[in-house]
Amino acid sequence: MKLNLTVHPRFRIGILPMILLALMGIAFVIAMIRYTYGIGPITDLSNSYPWGFWISFDLFTGVAISSGGFLMAGTVYILRIKEFQPLLRPSVLTAFLGYIMVAVALLVDLGHPERIWYMMIHMNGTSVLLEIGICVMSYLTVLAIEFAPVVFEGIKWQKFAHLIHKFIMPFVILGVVLSTLHQSSLGSLLLIQPTKLHPLWWTPFLPIMFFTSAITIGLGMIILESSLSSRYFQRGLEVHLLEKLAKVIPIVLAVYAFLKFGELAWAGELGYLFTSGVMSVLFWAEILIGVVTPFILFSIKKVRQSANGLLTGAVILLLGMILNRFNVSWFAVKHPDPLFYLPSFMSNVHYFPTLPEVLVSVGIFSAGIMAFGLVAKYLPVFENEEHSHETVVTPTPAIGD
Amino acid sequence: MIEIKHKAYLFDATRCIDCRACMVACSVENSIPMDKTRIWVAGVGVKGEFPNLDRATMVYHCMHCEHPDCMSACPVGAYHKRDDGPVIYNPDVCIGCRYCMNACPFGVPHFDYDKGIIAGAFIDKCTFCPQRVDNGLEPACVATCPTDALEYGEREDMIKAAHARIAAHPERYIDHVYGEFENGGTSYLILSHVPFSELGLPAIPEKPVNEVSEKVMEMTIPFAIGWGAVLTAITAGVAIYDKKKESQKPAELDEKVEAPK
Ligand code: SF4
Ligand code: SF4
Repeated sequence: MKLNLTVHPRFRIGILPMILLALMGIAFVIAMIRYTYGIGPITDLSNSYPWGFWISFDLFTGVAISSGGFLMAGTVYILRIKEFQPLLRPSVLTAFLGYIMVAVALLVDLGHPERIWYMMIHMNGTSVLLEIGICVMSYLTVLAIEFAPVVFEGIKWQKFAHLIHKFIMPFVILGVVLSTLHQSSLGSLLLIQPTKLHPLWWTPFLPIMFFTSAITIGLGMIILESSLSSRYFQRGLEVHLLEKLAKVIPIVLAVYAFLKFGELAWAGELGYLFTSGVMSVLFWAEILIGVVTPFILFSIKKVRQSANGLLTGAVILLLGMILNRFNVSWFAVKHPDPLFYLPSFMSNVHYFPTLPEVLVSVGIFSAGIMAFGLVAKYLPVFENEEHSHETVVTPTPAIGD
Repeated sequence: MIEIKHKAYLFDATRCIDCRACMVACSVENSIPMDKTRIWVAGVGVKGEFPNLDRATMVYHCMHCEHPDCMSACPVGAYHKRDDGPVIYNPDVCIGCRYCMNACPFGVPHFDYDKGIIAGAFIDKCTFCPQRVDNGLEPACVATCPTDALEYGEREDMIKAAHARIAAHPERYIDHVYGEFENGGTSYLILSHVPFSELGLPAIPEKPVNEVSEKVMEMTIPFAIGWGAVLTAITAGVAIYDKKKESQKPAELDEKVEAPK
């Protein structure tokens, strides 16, 4: 493929890139204020609520929506289902950018961002956070390697692209192992809070729940990102492939629902489903939006075969599952009620994210979208661009040769 | 129950007169800035009708757990439980992730939200005054307490003393020594005449809070190796199967999408 600078006129002076740039600028300024004056002045975080929006959105949601990368890598390389090849590169790119966004957000959230590498020299084996840190750092490397051939092809260093392709298998396997580990251990992160996390969510099986739902989130993200980019870049949509992915979603959702309710029944906590007030409502909202509705939608053939149906289903699924991540890491977590007498710095029993806090996340997210657009424009990420105007369902030629 | 042989505090809420001398002593001893503290002295407020008025006070700081959750959670191992009881914190390795604050069921560690990266934002919490204890002194708060509401000694002796006090005045105390079993035992023991929840102490199970997460962490590496092996086997299996199929149907080969080389 060659560098093609003229095909996508819509991206050149679009209004979207300008907005994205502005949002990134705002986030940058806020981050500088945070580095100078501390986390307190720009957030609502406190000693009672040490983790808030940044962790729920940037870490929990960010990692979950990046799971498409390992799913596609596993499908194409390990199971050798080659027809999914067209979805591989966009998914790996999403994952790569997603994890970079997670890392950047953590650098804002950490008290000592300059020490993040201490995780590699002072390891505490009992810490779930250490496992996540190490896995994310290693997986970023793996993703860089998996994505490198695209870059080399883009700059026409075919030899390097071939070389990496030759030795890619160990990295793919490593990538799947690392992903399994940290997708599930994001759930384990909450295991240490049995007295703080509501029993509707706290269970020793949190890691398994997280892994199962991460699969649905990954599939949903692939559908969403293919749909959006096909609209934006005016290229063909691989409906026949997405339909196959969408077919898998109800199965995984059924397993997930079975695990969730099975665990509650096993632990004798079914009663909480109706007696916990707001918590019960949140739980049902998460189940209805994230599990039941997409289960029904994706079970219908007509929905799976229409571009709009796929997009709608994926958006609903993602909203519900993201609500789950927010519930687990924020809404359902109750820190010990500091007593009314506590000194003011200790007594913030409530937490609500401030505008600057949200803007930082928005800025980082904008940077991600911007980067996706630029990479997709200049590098051979979508393979069947040439055919896109002729037919929607294009049998894809092999890449890398 | 394993016997725990080391020092502990005992706090008797019936003796505390809310003078807050311990807070001052702690801040002086540990050079804590004026707007922060490692001890919170908590008044529950006046209860009851005149003339039967009652109020309770609680001195709240790190419980120095036997199975510290802060220590279990910290990714860089900034916490350390000393053999003689104290759970201490090492700011030199802390990355400021605040996971310890999430992990501690008592909400003890607190963070410098008002400092940027140049000033350095750290965790702070009670250290059990190792600098004094190592020199044969009592912790600053205990040494200062004018009513002996705070005492310090061997954990076993403290528990015995606490139970003896309950037995001597069953009408005065609630029959429970908070911290004897909570969270797998703590080195800060509390006697009270009002329910512990009124003192702001959370109800914590006897099993250490970090039990499940530590068990899961133990399984991580074996799982990773096993899963890696399974995936390798699948990869090899599928590759061999694919090759066989291809060699059996050479005619269809052209249509087949080629593998990346
Ligand atoms: S009370 Fe909290 S900070 Fe203190 S040792 Fe226990 S877990 Fe750690
Ligand atoms: S904030 Fe510091 S002490 Fe607390 S868990 Fe993180 S690295 Fe450890």
